[in-house]
Amino acid sequence: MKQNHIHHYHRHMSISYPVSVRQRLYSLILTPVIVLVLVFVVVQLLGKEVVHGGPEISIGYISIALLTTFGRLVVSYFLALMLAIPLALLINKSPKAERILLPLFDIMQSVPVLAFFPVVILFFVHYGLYNGAAIFILLVTMMWSIVFSIVGGLRVIPQDIKEAAHIFGVTGPSYVRQILLPAVFPYIVTGSLLAWAGGWNIVIVAEVLHTYMPAGSNVQDLFGIGSLLVSSSASGDQNVFFVSVSLMIVFVAFLNFFIWQRLLKYAERFKFE
Amino acid sequence: MDIISFNHVSKTYQPGNAIALSDVSFAVEKGAFVCFVGPSGCGKSTVLKIIAGLETQTAGEVEKPDKVSMVFQNAALLPWLTVWDNVVFGLKAKGMPERHIIIETSKYIEMTGLQDFVAKYPHELSGGQRQRVGIARALAVNVDVVLLDEPFSALDTATTEELHKDLLRIWKQTSKTIVMISHSIEEAVSLADSVILMKAGHIEETFPIMLPRPRREQGGLFMHDVQTIRNKFFV
Repeated sequence: MKQNHIHHYHRHMSISYPVSVRQRLYSLILTPVIVLVLVFVVVQLLGKEVVHGGPEISIGYISIALLTTFGRLVVSYFLALMLAIPLALLINKSPKAERILLPLFDIMQSVPVLAFFPVVILFFVHYGLYNGAAIFILLVTMMWSIVFSIVGGLRVIPQDIKEAAHIFGVTGPSYVRQILLPAVFPYIVTGSLLAWAGGWNIVIVAEVLHTYMPAGSNVQDLFGIGSLLVSSSASGDQNVFFVSVSLMIVFVAFLNFFIWQRLLKYAERFKFE
Repeated sequence: MDIISFNHVSKTYQPGNAIALSDVSFAVEKGAFVCFVGPSGCGKSTVLKIIAGLETQTAGEVEKPDKVSMVFQNAALLPWLTVWDNVVFGLKAKGMPERHIIIETSKYIEMTGLQDFVAKYPHELSGGQRQRVGIARALAVNVDVVLLDEPFSALDTATTEELHKDLLRIWKQTSKTIVMISHSIEEAVSLADSVILMKAGHIEETFPIMLPRPRREQGGLFMHDVQTIRNKFFV
């Protein structure tokens, strides 16, 4: 059961990078264009009223909101990474920790973050730590795919590599630094890719904090692309909504093209044959 | 002088007390080339792992040097390191000074004929070249005993024969003690000073090979020794 569980995640993590120019261009240009056209059509079909006369929102303002959200995701991602790596190493090292933590993590990654941690979120909000609340939501969302991916990666390190490390005296922290971390690098990349996808998905939930508060208002929301999408949608401001979605899609496509695809390609070098 | 000795060594695995080794005794002289042959599951890998310190016996006495090195069946190179860094890998762990690392690594890179490949990664090398890197890495750490775990089993005949010649040359140059396991009786007879035949966890017989090298050129005499071991192997 446990093995199947890990294999399930391992299969899930086996993302390959687009190798041909056509595939890479497709992911950079065609996918965002197709999604944008779909969003535009949906907005046109569903938009019944257009509100004018509200505060003027420029593309610069939306871009800053997008970058603010991105900054929040970056902080959450690195915190998630810093927690996920030691947790995965602990699961790999100790069968007892594996027996306890793996099923626990499986439950936690399956159930929405808000169902588990409303008290923690309310704690942050109560003390005015709105960014803390958002980062906590994003961190908990992003962490699991990285943990499970690394655990899967640690399982497939060939036995002779472990034996070679032992024979050549590479043990303890050197073993972690010289063998384990490079060996799981491709799995960190694929886990991170999924973590970021989850992060962008949950960003609305993370920034629109007033929904957790009794009698809350959108004053308590965090400035960012997530809250901007919700407020523009609620006020029927189709232009802001469409520009926000468009900028977000283009930004995510650029991130995929310039960071993740390159990292996936670079990670190929770290894979055992 | 013996550098390795097994005295009534047994090894059982839990659960189920599966017997891997049963009352195994042998000795290897310093500077000798010994090869274990036998069918799959006969215990030859367990012998090698005990010498390597990867496993411990459940009974009997083992005398061996604290530090040995090993060449693996699939080379066991780190794919993210270049040829140079793979050879350096073991030396760095020993905390050698940088100057010493460069001298030793260069020496064994040259000895194994890898001068033109130092900046290559393992995936850019052929199977034979990868095994050369494995051999260079094992030699560079400067230990008395080098273990070889079926290092040529995945290679084609021409590459294997080329590596056999190089291995014998390196062995003579360095005077290391070599303990090898092989599934090929021909390979064992062509390389080793003595061939130890194992069956079902015990030593069936030890065959000293007295032929001068290169042995394959001995024709009938070589085949006679091979056939003698083969007759015992298949009984």
